[in-house]
Amino acid sequence: MLSLLDKWVQENNELANNFKLPEAQEATSPDQNRTNLRQSCSEFHKLLRKIQGIPPDAGHAELELSVVYNASVCFIAQSQIVEAELLLQQATERVLQMTGDDPDTSDPLVLWRTVLKSVRKTAFHHHVLYLLSLQWAIWLTNSYLKTIRDFQEEISALLETLSGKVGDDCRNETKAKFPDVPKLITDPRRLVELLQICTIITQGAERLSEGWSSEVLSDLQAASTLPAARALVAYTHLLSGACLAHMNRPQMALQCYKTALETDSHCVCALYQSILIYRQLKNSQAEIQTLRILHSVSNTKILLLPSSSEPAMAGTHLLSPSLFLRSQSLSSLLSVPSALSVLHSLALKCVLHSRASEGVEHYLDLLAALHSEDQHRIGAKTMTDTQVHAEVSTLPKLPRLYLEAGAALLMAQRPADCMALCSEVISTTQDLLPQKVVLDESETNAAATEDVKEEGEGGLAMFLWTAAAYLLQGHCFTHMKDWKQAVTHYTRCINLLVKVHYKNKVAGFQTQIPSADTDVQQGGDFCILQRLKGLSFAGRGISFTQMDRMKEALRDLQHSLQVLPEGVGAGLWCGEVLWRLSRRCDAAACWEKTWSLPTQPLTETLPVYVQEPQTGPLLDSTELRHRLHELHPV
Amino acid sequence: KAGKQRVSQISPEKQRALFSQATYVWRYGCLKHKRDPVRVFPRAEPNTDLCSKTYCIRKVAAQVDIVKCKCAIDVRRRVRTPCILVTKKRGDRFHYILLTLSSSNQLEPRIKFKPPYQMKGDVCILQGPTVLWRHEDSVFYTSLRAEGVRKIPMEMSHCLFGELSFYKGQVFVLGLQKPSDQSAKQSTSPTLGYFLEDGQVFDGTVVLPHPYLCITQCMLALSSEREGGVLKCAVIAATSHKQLVYFENGVARDACQLPYDHVEGLQVVNTGRNGCLFVVLFKRGDVCAVWKETFQVCPNSQVCLLHVDDFLGCGTDQMLLLFRDQGVARRPADKFLITDLCGISFSCGQASEALKTTPSPQENYLLTLQALESRLQSGLIVLQDLQRDVSVKEGVIQQSVQVLTDVLSGRETQLTQPATGVSLSLLTETGQSSAPAVIQTQSQAFWLPACRPSTPPLSSSSSSTSAFAFSQPAAKRSRQHVASDDPRARRLAVTAMTKLAPLLTSGCVKCCVMLHYTRGADALSPVSKRAPVVLHCGQVAVDIHSVFQKPLLKNPLIKTDEVREDLLSLLTVLDRWVLHIDSPDYSLGDMDGWIQKRAGCQKVEVSPQYLLLDSPEPSAAMLLHWHQITPFQGELSIHSSQLQMLRFLDSLRAFLPASCAVRPVKSARSRSTAQTLALALENEVLSLRKCAASLAREREEGDEGRAGPEEPPEPGSVEGLRRCREAWRRDVERSRTRLSALVDVGKYREMIRIVSDVQTDGDLAALLYAQRTLFS
Repeated sequence: MLSLLDKWVQENNELANNFKLPEAQEATSPDQNRTNLRQSCSEFHKLLRKIQGIPPDAGHAELELSVVYNASVCFIAQSQIVEAELLLQQATERVLQMTGDDPDTSDPLVLWRTVLKSVRKTAFHHHVLYLLSLQWAIWLTNSYLKTIRDFQEEISALLETLSGKVGDDCRNETKAKFPDVPKLITDPRRLVELLQICTIITQGAERLSEGWSSEVLSDLQAASTLPAARALVAYTHLLSGACLAHMNRPQMALQCYKTALETDSHCVCALYQSILIYRQLKNSQAEIQTLRILHSVSNTKILLLPSSSEPAMAGTHLLSPSLFLRSQSLSSLLSVPSALSVLHSLALKCVLHSRASEGVEHYLDLLAALHSEDQHRIGAKTMTDTQVHAEVSTLPKLPRLYLEAGAALLMAQRPADCMALCSEVISTTQDLLPQKVVLDESETNAAATEDVKEEGEGGLAMFLWTAAAYLLQGHCFTHMKDWKQAVTHYTRCINLLVKVHYKNKVAGFQTQIPSADTDVQQGGDFCILQRLKGLSFAGRGISFTQMDRMKEALRDLQHSLQVLPEGVGAGLWCGEVLWRLSRRCDAAACWEKTWSLPTQPLTETLPVYVQEPQTGPLLDSTELRHRLHELHPV
Repeated sequence: KAGKQRVSQISPEKQRALFSQATYVWRYGCLKHKRDPVRVFPRAEPNTDLCSKTYCIRKVAAQVDIVKCKCAIDVRRRVRTPCILVTKKRGDRFHYILLTLSSSNQLEPRIKFKPPYQMKGDVCILQGPTVLWRHEDSVFYTSLRAEGVRKIPMEMSHCLFGELSFYKGQVFVLGLQKPSDQSAKQSTSPTLGYFLEDGQVFDGTVVLPHPYLCITQCMLALSSEREGGVLKCAVIAATSHKQLVYFENGVARDACQLPYDHVEGLQVVNTGRNGCLFVVLFKRGDVCAVWKETFQVCPNSQVCLLHVDDFLGCGTDQMLLLFRDQGVARRPADKFLITDLCGISFSCGQASEALKTTPSPQENYLLTLQALESRLQSGLIVLQDLQRDVSVKEGVIQQSVQVLTDVLSGRETQLTQPATGVSLSLLTETGQSSAPAVIQTQSQAFWLPACRPSTPPLSSSSSSTSAFAFSQPAAKRSRQHVASDDPRARRLAVTAMTKLAPLLTSGCVKCCVMLHYTRGADALSPVSKRAPVVLHCGQVAVDIHSVFQKPLLKNPLIKTDEVREDLLSLLTVLDRWVLHIDSPDYSLGDMDGWIQKRAGCQKVEVSPQYLLLDSPEPSAAMLLHWHQITPFQGELSIHSSQLQMLRFLDSLRAFLPASCAVRPVKSARSRSTAQTLALALENEVLSLRKCAASLAREREEGDEGRAGPEEPPEPGSVEGLRRCREAWRRDVERSRTRLSALVDVGKYREMIRIVSDVQTDGDLAALLYAQRTLFS
């Protein structure tokens, strides 16, 4: 007849085997797994209750601690941290009773230190260390990084013992084949390895966010050689890259991101981080290239789901690394924008970097994707509804996307398509346009008049979109050399824009466009307004020029220059008109002034549709210079 | 004891109260032995005529104490009846009387007994009625049937009383057997059970497993049956660890945590459809119920009394709870609760203090000491033998070393007392060739100093050859005989020396060791003629591995040419395996570090990519070379014997991740191209020789077949001369044809085909070799 102890060992091993059995089958659904886990958990707990029902006995210690380990692992796997911690506390108290030491404290740290000291010479020393590793897991899950640092010494000793027990390995292995050794449901060594690398990653992310990048770097690089799942190794490279990026070493950072991606092709965040670096380096070609890869990866739809990017591993299957990677700073590093945002960035980049036709394709893909999502959406209201999908929240609003796409189409010499998109925008916004909009330029305290602003802002945005749509249509007609229509549309734009009133005219309202950093909503709106005005006047002026209505043309162009002094088209054409009006000196001055302006490439800080049109009637600067040369033969 | 009420000091009124209590008990079929039973049931029963019948108490003298009240089955009357055990002190003797309440509400004394001591600790009243108690490691009982106090024939250090629900009922005692001389050696289970009815002893673990016995405060048998002498029962027990545990045949099936400490009683409530409930009573008046199916607990506190019965007459049990905070002194049933959980029988739990009696260690220690001492003695003898053995061996080794150094330095060996007529010879194993060959050796024999007389002559000679000779008991005995024959007890050491080189052409060689000697003609021997005797002394195994690695093993940390040479020779000698390790999901970590952490691992300084894994066993050295390709894969080269390699792989498997794939790199790659080429050339030569030989042999066979038997010619006659000429001519002919042999075309073609095939292989190997050497 088996003794009580043997029976309990048998029971534990049966439970452990049952637990491993379904895990081996791939077909089991996660739901089934969860049920299985919950059941195993309560079974282990029940067994533990029985074992702990008899007085603590060092002869039973190995069994008891193994069952505590198994039950706690189950609890932790179900994120029942409090329960697991309670089990560990009871276990440590019982261990102290076995060794006859006095637990004269309730402080867990002191308790653990006492336990570790008292079991150092016992046969179940390793089992106590297994429990300590679970305590470590709990601290990590709770993000008690400071506690872990305080316990660093014990943890290093633990690592040393558990990974260094090579000599025993052979014996343990053979022992495990016998039924009288209590089985563990997770290999403690693998667990410790997981905890070690997860601790370094989490700590690294935290300290990086506190600005200790150089200190973290060496830790991370050491961690990259630790035994761990692919995804976690990739994370160490990713974080090293982030450190280097912080330390202003973008090329080395890129190298690290590359290594991360090579290590784990699922590590999309490395791709995204490299995009950010390329953006910072203004290497738009590489950025577009990387965006394209990211987009194609996102399109395969496998990788953006967080669950699938989770490292799956054998052995520590039960305890997923995501349990231990709960740092806020880490998750911000690991986050990747949605597929549609990526697509939008790609499209915009293409347009801004003279790949209009490719950009158009991406824009059309994006609009198609949004449209199909729109179809699925229940309770769709208006096009201006920003929340197309939770995932798309970083995307600009739909009318703006339409307008950007329109501008791209125009650049790609497809004015008809552009016009269609603009009509779409106009038809949607027309009914929602308020009679009058007040733009409070001095407004800095947003909270004071929030509801007013809400209303006003919506109206203002609506205004600006409609005006931009008209402007684009004007550009289209200009492109098609239908000057009369162009004038009509530019006029519509201007008429809309004059409905915007300024509440407080500030001195700087005619100043330069705010630099890239000051992307404050109001300032941005003001800028856009000014640009719309300038461009529409310039467009109308140019159209008038083509219709030989020089007076109107001059008026509009001068108006445009007043609003937007840096308008190159307006400057040149203004000179041309002056020239034709035989005011050659004025014309020359006007041209000289325009040429002296810094050339402005397309920029990301402004919507692409309020930037100078790349199409339309052009003036050849060399020809103009030639004319000037004739005027002032030197 | 707090639970005792002094009857003598109480007024008649209180005495009446005692009876009324009994009446109450009778009414409800149960009785609770409270701290102050009189206060619990003051005049609960208006049945006054009972109170006047106090004759049984009247007989009781001055000092009367109530020891215990409990309901138990009266076997004779076949009813459940309240029992009261009272005691009175007469002088320094104690008289005990068990009173029961008869059907006519009369207390009658049933059992009287006078133990020569006062009962202390737990007393239990079980069916019968039977009174059980413990006194100084012995368990006593008395009942109507037993007629007098009986003692259980076992000493128990800790015990529990219980009853099983057989059809007749069985009272049993469970106890921890006192460790006696016998039990310490042979008894498997220290827990014993004893039936009072038939005196049968059974293994107590079928009721309660061993560690529970000491911590059980209360036990209740739920069901029991006897199947062919095997007891099967289900029991619940409340332990001092605040647990209620359910046992089936001695296996703890379930356990639940109880809300309070100090269990006093357990009860079963059958609620019919809703299943069974266990009701647990605690000393301080708390109650909790546990569902049998789920082992879920629902506690209830501040209950002073609890009854289980079918109060409502609905066919199932209910629970009646009387609450304490009511003025129990006056109206006990003022506030009560009958729930579907209450019941009929009130079992009085004996809250036995867990007597932690450690078994008296004195005897144990004595026995252990004796055993240890005898072991020590025998060990000492063996040790002395061994020491003698060692000293002899040392002597032999020293002398051998002396001889060897003499040989090396060209000096003549100066032996103290050279012996003659004795020599050793080594013979190769018969398996190697048809007959064993004698290996040339140089033997030396010399006398060793005489043993002390006390020394057994056991080990005098065997060491002289080698340790392997131990495996020959017959030989040993004969040598002993030789040695003991010598009256001066002089011992002889014989050494043999040979060159290793001829032995080590193959990996491992076994040699037989033969001892040659001639019997001396001394006075005691009747044989005058000196007859040479040959004695087989066993075998010596010489392994190339154990010979070649020694210098390297000594110190791999030094960087000399010698060590470098040793490393190269070790690499040549050892078998080699190359394993490709690929772990797709999980990085391998620090393999080098892991190998270096193994016991006896050292880096070879002359070639640091190699790690030497040394172990004390002979021929167990291992060279390892880990080449990491990526963090997820690498190549491991193992140079060792196969057994060592397998052992290493076994522990490596535990280190590597589970999803890891280990496959041997193809042998063609593991072998160097030079080796491949050499092998191919060797193969070519061998097959060419083989083919040519087979061709030639066939032709010759054909020749001989034609020639037939031939009688020797007579040289004298003409005919003889002619024959001689004929033979000579034939010989010339034969030798000519042999020089330019005619062979069968088909066979020749076959041979050429085979040879050219082999040559192709050789060419290929040569090409690979050329590529490797040119491009690397």
